[in-house]
Amino acid sequence: MAQRGGAQRPSGGGQGKICQFKLVLLGESAVGKSSLVLRFVKGQFHEYQESTIGAAFLTQTVCLDDTTVKFEIWDTAGQERYHSLAPMYYRGAQAAIVVYDITNQDTFGRAKTWVKELQRQASPNIVIALAGNKADLANKRMVEYEEAQTYAEENSLLFMETSAKTAMNVNDIFLAIAKKLPKSDNNARSCWMLQVITFKTGETM
Amino acid sequence: MAQGEKHHLSNSKLNDVDEYGFERPSDFRYESYEEFMSKYLTVLTRRARKWSHLLGAKETVGRGMKVKRYIRKGIPLVHRGKMWMEVSGARKKMEAHPGYYKSLQDLPLNEDLMECIRVDIPRTFPDNIYFRDYKEGKLGSLKNVLVAFSNHNKEIGYCQGLNYIAGLLLIITKDEECAFWLFDVLTTDLLPQYYTPDMVGVLTDIRVLESIVKEQAPLIWKHVAHYGITWDLLATKWFICLFAEVLPIETVLRIWDCLFYEGNKILMRVAVTLVVSNQEKILMSQEFVDIIHCFKTIAKDEDALNCHTFIENVFRVTGSFSRARLAKLREECEAQIKAEKDKETGGKSFASSCVTSLTLDA
Repeated sequence: MAQRGGAQRPSGGGQGKICQFKLVLLGESAVGKSSLVLRFVKGQFHEYQESTIGAAFLTQTVCLDDTTVKFEIWDTAGQERYHSLAPMYYRGAQAAIVVYDITNQDTFGRAKTWVKELQRQASPNIVIALAGNKADLANKRMVEYEEAQTYAEENSLLFMETSAKTAMNVNDIFLAIAKKLPKSDNNARSCWMLQVITFKTGETM
Repeated sequence: MAQGEKHHLSNSKLNDVDEYGFERPSDFRYESYEEFMSKYLTVLTRRARKWSHLLGAKETVGRGMKVKRYIRKGIPLVHRGKMWMEVSGARKKMEAHPGYYKSLQDLPLNEDLMECIRVDIPRTFPDNIYFRDYKEGKLGSLKNVLVAFSNHNKEIGYCQGLNYIAGLLLIITKDEECAFWLFDVLTTDLLPQYYTPDMVGVLTDIRVLESIVKEQAPLIWKHVAHYGITWDLLATKWFICLFAEVLPIETVLRIWDCLFYEGNKILMRVAVTLVVSNQEKILMSQEFVDIIHCFKTIAKDEDALNCHTFIENVFRVTGSFSRARLAKLREECEAQIKAEKDKETGGKSFASSCVTSLTLDA
């Protein structure tokens, strides 16, 4: 079993911590939540991504310098009717990506509502990122970059415009979240040290 | 399929699109499917003969033990759409309202609702060859049915997931008006609280499933609870989509045969069976992630694919399962949900009033 904490951790090894985080995607229907996840997890894009019912669950790992961050991703359904189901997905989440579609002003309004709901209902330390998706459709833009950026700054959100279609900023936004997440036991779903295992089993470093 | 053809077929002679228009996925297990089909075709041939004998020159079958047995063993595809119309009462509704379906399409629809439907149309069954084109394919019909229904049932309007149900009805009936009336029977008569804005029917049935599992397979219930997994994470899509897009298509259709004849109890029977008969696999999954994954896998494995034995198993595992018991469980679970909700909204309305005043201050 993995050991928690790291009292006897030898310093300077090549391997580091593995931390597991729960991340939820929220946002209006058809803004591209599932497409962002599909791009991030499988590197794929489908022009017509099936509408998500309930929620979909996927995992993906990103490597920072000395930490491996494993995301447990809940990709939720967007329709307002499913709103009452959302709390079970964001409950206990350490991170959230609130997605809107840059070609649709209403979806930006809806994103703001999600941010508000997270700020008052989710864990107080939750890291929230705002993603303005469909950035490849810049000629149909309805939400200005500056407007969203200002809003994000005012609310201490990470912010990027993304395109699941071209892969622009998709890995980056997950990576930025991974960097911002505090990597300690009390914050992650679980964290453990690889080095402790090495130390205990072999005593050789 | 004839024995001589078998070798031929296992060299991937099986069409890469199935008889309903769905493209077989890249990881489709042709060999196990062929093995299943070689047995199932014998069943299908026998059922086709029995059904043509049962029907004779008649259009309808009425009700009774024999019909129930026949339906549980599967309605042959050629009769399926028509029989669904008959046994569910959809045909009677349709005949009682001539011209009604057409008239619904001319009514103006609330723009938000229209937008919800519009974005979901091209995202319905993108892996089905009939759902790629508005003119030639079924996308136009799908839109017509969903729009007409939103005008017909204002309380439900449109709920994501209904697109798959309407889509499948169109595939089987090949007729918009029939699909519309079957859709109406499902959402209004068979599952009256599933698609309403509070979706309380779905939430209730998930809770009922949990309580049956807790009683019938306490080890599974404990195991799932131990990893902090709630049953809504596992079973929401099962109930909302009536297993469409969850189980293999042939299995879904066999379930729907029973659904239209016997009512919504079959959904609970199937859900319980899926869980209980996979006890070993579920208990072997030792992490949160593995359990979630396991529940996805059991809906797609060979047991789920083999629709005939699957349905037999459903009735064996759930045995005699009285309507009264289900009704009582539902009543209890719904009361629980309502009580929790009342408690929550007490807190929530306070929170949102704080937010409102903050916004006003800003």
